[in-house]
Amino acid sequence: MNKLPLFVIGVLCTFAFSWLGLVVYPFVKLGHLEPVPDEETGGYFPPTLSGAAVAGQQVYAANGCIYCHSQQVRPASLSTDIAKEVGPRRTVARDYLRERTVFLGTMRTGPDLANVGLRKTDPNWLHRHLYEPRSVTPWSIMPSYRYLYKMQKIQGQPSANALRELSGRHAPEPGYEVVPTDDANALVAYLLSLKRNYPLPEAPLPAAK
Amino acid sequence: MKSQSLLTSIHPATVPDSLASHERAEIDASTRGPVLLFFGCSVFWLLVGSLLGLVAAWKMTHPGLLDSMAWLTFGRIRPAHLNVVVYGWAFQAGIGVALWLMARLCRIPLLHAKLLVSATLFWNLGVLIGVLGILAGDSRSVEWLELPGYATPILFLAYACIGVWAVIMFRYRRPGHVYVSQWYLLAAFLWFPWLYATANILLIWQPVQGSAQGAVNWWFARNVLGLWLTPIGLASAFYMIPKVLGRPIHSYYLSLLGFWALALFYSWNGMHHLIGGPFPAWMISASVVASILMIIPVITVAINHHMTMKGHFEALKWSPTLRFTVFGAMAYTVVSLQGCLMAIPSLNTITHFTDYTIGHAHLGLYGFFSMMMFGAIYYIVPRLVGWEWPSATMIRWHFWLAATGVLLMVGALTIGGLLQGLALYDPKVSFQSSLDFATPFRWVRGISGFLLLAGHLVFACLFVQMLLKIGHRRTGPALFTESKTEAASL
Amino acid sequence: MTSPTLPPEEGFNEKDHHEEIDLAEVHASILREQADPKEGGEPIPLWLLTIFFAIVFWAGLYLANNSGGFRADVFDPSQAVQVAGGDTGPVDPKVLGKRVFTQSCVVCHQPTGLGLPGVFPPLAGSEWVLGTDPHGDNHLVKLVLKGMQGPVKVKDVDYNNAMPAWTQLSDEQIAGVLTYIRSEWGNAAPPISTEYVKSIREKTADRTDPWTAKELLDIPAEKVPAAESAPSAPPAAPPAPPAT
Repeated sequence: MNKLPLFVIGVLCTFAFSWLGLVVYPFVKLGHLEPVPDEETGGYFPPTLSGAAVAGQQVYAANGCIYCHSQQVRPASLSTDIAKEVGPRRTVARDYLRERTVFLGTMRTGPDLANVGLRKTDPNWLHRHLYEPRSVTPWSIMPSYRYLYKMQKIQGQPSANALRELSGRHAPEPGYEVVPTDDANALVAYLLSLKRNYPLPEAPLPAAK
Repeated sequence: MKSQSLLTSIHPATVPDSLASHERAEIDASTRGPVLLFFGCSVFWLLVGSLLGLVAAWKMTHPGLLDSMAWLTFGRIRPAHLNVVVYGWAFQAGIGVALWLMARLCRIPLLHAKLLVSATLFWNLGVLIGVLGILAGDSRSVEWLELPGYATPILFLAYACIGVWAVIMFRYRRPGHVYVSQWYLLAAFLWFPWLYATANILLIWQPVQGSAQGAVNWWFARNVLGLWLTPIGLASAFYMIPKVLGRPIHSYYLSLLGFWALALFYSWNGMHHLIGGPFPAWMISASVVASILMIIPVITVAINHHMTMKGHFEALKWSPTLRFTVFGAMAYTVVSLQGCLMAIPSLNTITHFTDYTIGHAHLGLYGFFSMMMFGAIYYIVPRLVGWEWPSATMIRWHFWLAATGVLLMVGALTIGGLLQGLALYDPKVSFQSSLDFATPFRWVRGISGFLLLAGHLVFACLFVQMLLKIGHRRTGPALFTESKTEAASL
Repeated sequence: MTSPTLPPEEGFNEKDHHEEIDLAEVHASILREQADPKEGGEPIPLWLLTIFFAIVFWAGLYLANNSGGFRADVFDPSQAVQVAGGDTGPVDPKVLGKRVFTQSCVVCHQPTGLGLPGVFPPLAGSEWVLGTDPHGDNHLVKLVLKGMQGPVKVKDVDYNNAMPAWTQLSDEQIAGVLTYIRSEWGNAAPPISTEYVKSIREKTADRTDPWTAKELLDIPAEKVPAAESAPSAPPAAPPAPPAT
């Protein structure tokens, strides 16, 4: 192998091959998908995200939730995800077109979050869980995100958005309350928005029984 | 090149080795500044990276550890660990080894070393800013690309200086045979900028829409390992094994097959991290197939190395370089075959999303690549500073701490990951059980982190002694067992 | 040399200036080095090549069987046959039509097909849509393709507005949406076939201006040929379970 130009061309061609297949192809075919109109309501699938949820994606990325939580449901032909109620159907490319950064994830140290908004509908539960995971799930190994909350003295009436039902050693001292910061509110709004339970042409919902 | 006869281009072993000792000395002197600087910085980041990894590991068993401040949270420490060990340690150690090998094999001195020195400084500035950015919460959580968008242009600029010099050096090489290590190095230097630019543009600067990000992300992350670090590691093995033994690499034709099979198949591997993910079936299947086809380059390289070593394994008893390098080469074979297995969809469904993958990653980046780099550094540094490693005992400690540390870690994560994966797979088993199964093994992993850190401290201590030329002054090489006649070759 | 981590060293700097380096000054580690690595010329064993070819062969088979037809919208190789099979027949025009209607028509003509009184004419029961005398199916296709403006009477109410041209929609999409509006909201006119739209598009290829109602009504009315409407009901093809 002493022919330099031939070598360089060979090296670049083999690389270009995978570049075309795994970069250019998805860029062209998956990078310009359109939401599907919902024939029943006139809305779109996947639904648009609220401004708070979009801000929540940023918080999700900054604090590295992705390193323990995936956001993808594998098909029944390949895994038990659907039997384990990770989600009602597999996820497909169109599910992610509203995400600025796609948090597919590669770890399930914690549960998958692709459909956490279906399982957890109570914002206060999510806030308590983020503030001190072991106050709601004793065996959880999730770190506490106390730094997304403010402990403050109650001025007259308790704040409307203060965390409720914090008990035992996780409860604030009497006269104090725990209120979420904007980041915490945004993160919870994002988590509540995570629902992949709508039908798509390439991923229909399983027939209801 | 112009004086090559047909015979020598077909049967390269007939090309005479023309490098005299004083020419080697001249080449080594020219690489001394930048290569030592790369090594020195990489050792610093290795210590930082091991510390971060240790903290992240213990956070898995003690979630309350250091959880009061945002910058210390697991979700920032872990990517900081990865980026420090990859861009701080592995890249710089790799570039140092690659530049030295390139100069030696091209048989010309490294030109304009000052430019490379400033590139090193820029690279480290980029890594520093990037890692602080991750800790400050500026990461976009794109795996292997967590360094924020404001740090990567600095890295790119630094790389441009380094990569250009490597290619220029190759262009002006002295006529003669181009050795297999040079193929790997030149290819790596050509692939990386393409890889890094594509990933940064499509993921950080102008993110592509939707799940296409996942494909680009894993195409990149896989190829940083496969088409940048792996070629450098293999180039080092292909140089060090025959060099220390003083015998030729077994087969030119196996080298050829191994190289081109790697180039063709490895770059398609990325999607095996996304089996079952939201991608067209053919993309996943292509990656599964490419991952299994990796058997070809891996077995080819393994046979080539093994046949070169055959009958000379006793050299492992005395040569530190060879011991680290052969450990790395064996880890490469094991980790790659493990990778082939993990790509089989029915096995992947168990191991995916578990600690098993983390174990696999450490066997690759540490067991293979880092051990390869340690071996090369033990060979190169005495030639650059004119001082022998002051203590063979410390090298032995380094080896055994690193080897047991990484084997313990990989073993624990592999078993723990399998149990975790089986629990996650079985619909009748609760999620809590997957944690319960993994926890004892995460303790073991935490302990293995101490072993690795201790090994790195020993290594750093040795390295500083070399730079300052202090410690025990020896006349011969630092060998594990003295008074061997072969020892003269190290 | 320039590295801040390096201590100043004796000897080395001098060496850099010498053309020829004195062997005695070369580091001992360099002097004791073995020859530079070379490659042996052993051939690749035949058994190894055989195994490799077998792996490549298997790889090709696996990829062929799990490629999902190399389509971007097939995500599950096991579903490949289903989806690919569904694609060989035409899409149900009414499903396609409903989608087009929701995207393009609903803003003016409303989901109810009733339009906005006095502003946008209705589609439900409209003689323009149903093609009842003196209106023809050709008029309907033409006005959708090129648009329509000026005064028009629909269900005895006068409108004066402008409808944009939908020439950017494919023949299939136009056929679908027309078939849909002719069968929805109590309308019951025969489907419009893709071929019919295509023929009209070809005939009016030169026209760029929108039609006026008067112009259209001057053109003799046509009915969509009955035979061409056959593809309108592929999902209810004989082997399928009884459709409701």
